[in-house]
Formats: sequence, C-alpha cells, structure tokens
Amino acid sequence: MTREISVTVNGTVYRKQVPVRLLLVDFIRDVLDLTGTHQGCTYEGVCGACTVQLNGEAVKSCMMLAVQADGQQVTTIEGLARNGVLHPLQKAFKEHHGLQCGFCTSGMIMNAEEFLRTNPRPTEDEIRHALIGNICRCTGYQGIVAAVSAAAEEMSAAGTPAKSGS
Amino acid sequence: MYPASIEQYHRPATVDEARAAYAAAGGEAMYIAGGMSLMQAMKSRVLSCRALIDLSQVSELRGVENSGGRVRIGAMTRYRAVAESRAALGPYQALADAADRVGDRQVRNRGTVGGSLSWNFVVACTPVAALACGASVSILRADGRRESLAIDDFLQGPMTTALSEGDLLLGIEMPVPANPASSAYRKWGVVVDALPTIGVAVFVELASASSCRNARIAVVGLPGGPARTPRAEARLKAADLGDPSSLAACAKAAAEECDTAADPWIGASYKSHLIERLCLEMIGTAVRRARSQMS
Ligand SMILES: Cc1cc2nc3c(=O)[nH]c(=O)nc-3n(C[C@H](O)[C@H](O)[C@H](O)COP(=O)(O)OP(=O)(O)OC[C@H]3O[C@@H](n4cnc5c(N)ncnc54)[C@H](O)[C@@H]3O)c2cc1C
Ligand code: FES
Ligand code: FES
Repeated sequence: MTREISVTVNGTVYRKQVPVRLLLVDFIRDVLDLTGTHQGCTYEGVCGACTVQLNGEAVKSCMMLAVQADGQQVTTIEGLARNGVLHPLQKAFKEHHGLQCGFCTSGMIMNAEEFLRTNPRPTEDEIRHALIGNICRCTGYQGIVAAVSAAAEEMSAAGTPAKSGS
Repeated sequence: MYPASIEQYHRPATVDEARAAYAAAGGEAMYIAGGMSLMQAMKSRVLSCRALIDLSQVSELRGVENSGGRVRIGAMTRYRAVAESRAALGPYQALADAADRVGDRQVRNRGTVGGSLSWNFVVACTPVAALACGASVSILRADGRRESLAIDDFLQGPMTTALSEGDLLLGIEMPVPANPASSAYRKWGVVVDALPTIGVAVFVELASASSCRNARIAVVGLPGGPARTPRAEARLKAADLGDPSSLAACAKAAAEECDTAADPWIGASYKSHLIERLCLEMIGTAVRRARSQMS
C-alpha cells in the first residue's frame, strides 16, 4: 500500500514513505509543500497547470504516480531561479504581461523551458503549438507568447547554456 | 479524482521480469506504459488493480530501428521519439505524422505506441496509421508464446484488441518495400492536435511515377473504430497518379464507403466531406514523398 521512494526535486533528495496511489502532483504539493505546481483539472490531464519536468522533460504531474518518479529527477517552478535571480522566462512573463491570476503560469513556464532547449529560436507559430497542453483562462495568450518569444531572444543573445532540468 | 488503493508497484527492467511480476500478482495486475489513458481510467475508478507493473524501464521495448529490410518500433517507444525518427521510419512516415500531433508536448513526452495500440481508443491516431502501414504486431502471450499478428486482425473494434489478460505487446514491424514507397496521416479535430474527428492515413508503393503497385487507406472517426477502405484502395491501385480526376475519384470512393455518424459537435455529412478532403490530401502527400525517392 505504501512504498519508500527517493526523488530528487530541484536538486534535493527526498526520501519518503508514500501510498502507491499518491499522484506525483500531490506528492509535490502536499508532501513536499512545493505549492508552485498547481492542479487545475486532475482527472482529465488537459489543463497543464501541474506541468513539471521529469528528467528534464515536461510532463503533467497529475498523470503520474509519485512512485513512478522514484530514483528520478523532478524540477518544479521553485527550481528555476538561481541564487534569487529569476530565470529569463520568469522575468519575461512579468515584463510582457504573461500572467494575470498566475494559476497557469508555473505549468506554462516548465513546459516552455524544456521547449526552448529543444528549439532555441522558435517562430510565433511554433511557440503557440508548443503550449497547446497549457490552458490559460485569463490572458488570451498574447502576453504569454510574447514572453516566451522575448525569453528565447534574451537566452539566445546571452548564449545561456542549455540547462538540463537540474 | 484519485486512483483506488494499489497494493504493489513494480518496475521491471526486462520483458521476462515484467511477465513474472504479472504472473506473481495472480491476475490482478495491470501494465502501465505512458499512463496517458490508464491514469485517467484509474483516477475515474473505471479501472483498478492490486499490482501496477510499470514498463518504463524495459529498454528492450524502446526504439525505432531500420535494419535487414524491416522497420521495427518497440511498444514503449514514446510519441516524441517516433516523431523524431523520420529517417529510420523510411516509408512509414504516417506513424511520425501521427505521433507528432498527439495531444500536446507533455503527452508526447510520456505516451507510447504500444499503449495507444493496446488501448485502441475509438478515435486515436496510432492505430489508424499502423493500419494503413500494414504493420505486424508482435505479442508475448501470458503463457510465454510469441506471436505475430497482422494489424488488421489485432485491432478488433473500439477498446478491443487481440491481447488477452497478461499478454504483452512487444512492438510492431513493417517490411521496407522494394520500390519507392511512403505514407502520410492527417487528422482534423475540434481544436488543433485534439483527438481526431476524422483522420486519414494513406500508404503507397509506386510501380512508376504515375502508378501504384500497392496502396492502403485507413480512416478513423467512425463509430466502429479505424477501418480500411477497400474500394478506394482498389481505385488507387488502378489510378493514373498524374490525373487529378482519378485521385479525386479515389477520395470520393473512400468517403462513400465509410459510414459516418454525427456526434454532439459535428454532423455526419461534414465528416464525409472531411474524409474526402483529407484522403485526397494524404494521397498527394504520400505519392509526393514516395516520388522524391526516385532518381
Ligand atoms: C491530453 C491528452 C491528449 C491526447 N490526445 C491524443 C490524440 O490527439 N491522439 C491520440 O491518438 N491519442 C491521444 N491521447 C491518448 C494518448 O495517445 C495515450 O497515450 C495512449 O492512448 C495510451 O498510451 P500510453 O503509453 O500512455 O499507455 P497507458 O495509458 O499506460 O496504457 C493504456 C493501456 O494499454 C495497456 N498497455 C500499455 N502498454 C502495453 C504493452 N506493451 N503490452 C500490453 N498492454 C499494454 C495498459 O495496460 C492500458 O490498459 C491523448 C491523451 C491525453 C491525456
Ligand atoms: S491538473 Fe494536471 S493537467 Fe490539469
Ligand atoms: S493567468 Fe490566470 S489562468 Fe493564466
């Protein structure tokens, strides 16, 4: 019924005894208290608010069990800023009006961060296509697309080394 | 929503270990691949199990390989990897077309070819593409027998396949034809990259620049699940590929032989129209891709 797992989240190893049926999103929010990862639809897996990175790849954490992350690396929104300096995506979302209520934001950014590592100079169409799995009920997406685009430019200009999901 | 209680979780490294874990659970086990369908079913309590067997670490089930005149795709190959394997897929581009547009990036990072074929949802992209590609499906039966089935016999209607309890789908494979050949798939849904309202996959092997040696056409979006369109296939095999009216007649035949049904969003006649349009477009794409291999 329960099982001990060891998951590295944002570089810290957590060893916890958890129910096998515990969803990864609930492990992150309720067991680790990392509430930057949100839960918008849970059953359907369609809103993307719970997006985190598993071994550097964007996944919906309501579509996995915590035990499936045993021995793996998870990165959440809390793991993006370095030494108090916002990640270029976080900065761009702030500057380009990429959020209103902020509910979708962490999922958007965790998906976009991996996307920009696979495609550092995306077109606007490519950005919109990459964000299909993340629903925003506030912004109308214009600001989000502008933010991802601006972050891509800043990161390319700065030659930000590809970060591999810590 | 929350899954019902699960007693055990296993993460085998090999196919043999997976089968042993399944047997040890005494018939109350389930395999999980990407979980993109199964987790939904578990969270809504449609399915539950005593032991969950996670296939994600079974490396022998992963990968796209093109060697010895065969293209093989392991059951645990994720959509993302299929979409990134266009070179290895050779004539079977329809499978990459399908994988590239399943759901969203997050789903493509987890969902697998084997999971999609095993689940065989009434409207899904991989089964219809595999049907047009004429795949053979490799199965490891629960009792240890290995079997290979034509995809036409593997898919047995919505959410039904030739898999019985405890069987493992190992992968699919297709021969590389002697002549220039290719395939294409496209779907049309309520929103971009959604489940297909209608999807059409076409495979052609050319005899010359203007004639086919072999052709397969499959349509998804029908109440009975994906289906081939034999009359349209026969027309395409006899068609002059340089004559637009000849190709238009194939697409029309495909639409006519499919029994579409209205759903809450879309009427039957519009679905027939979509079949005709997508079929014509996919014949064009498959033929163009195949011709590009002619010197
Ligand atoms: C938001 C969203 C959007 C989607 N959009 C699309 C879409 O546009 N097109 C589309 O086609 N699909 C879509 N899907 C469904 C998706 O394709 C699923 O990934 C797929 O149906 C199941 O594959 P999986 O690897 O996730 O399998 P799982 O969900 O893990 O398993 C599905 C079933 O197959 C069984 N199984 C898995 N692997 C094996 C094996 N090797 N041997 C025996 N049994 C096995 C499992 O026991 C289970 O019963 C979407 C899903 C989501 C959540
Ligand atoms: S909460 Fe996971 S996709 Fe909506
Ligand atoms: S900012 Fe409110 S949902 Fe996106």
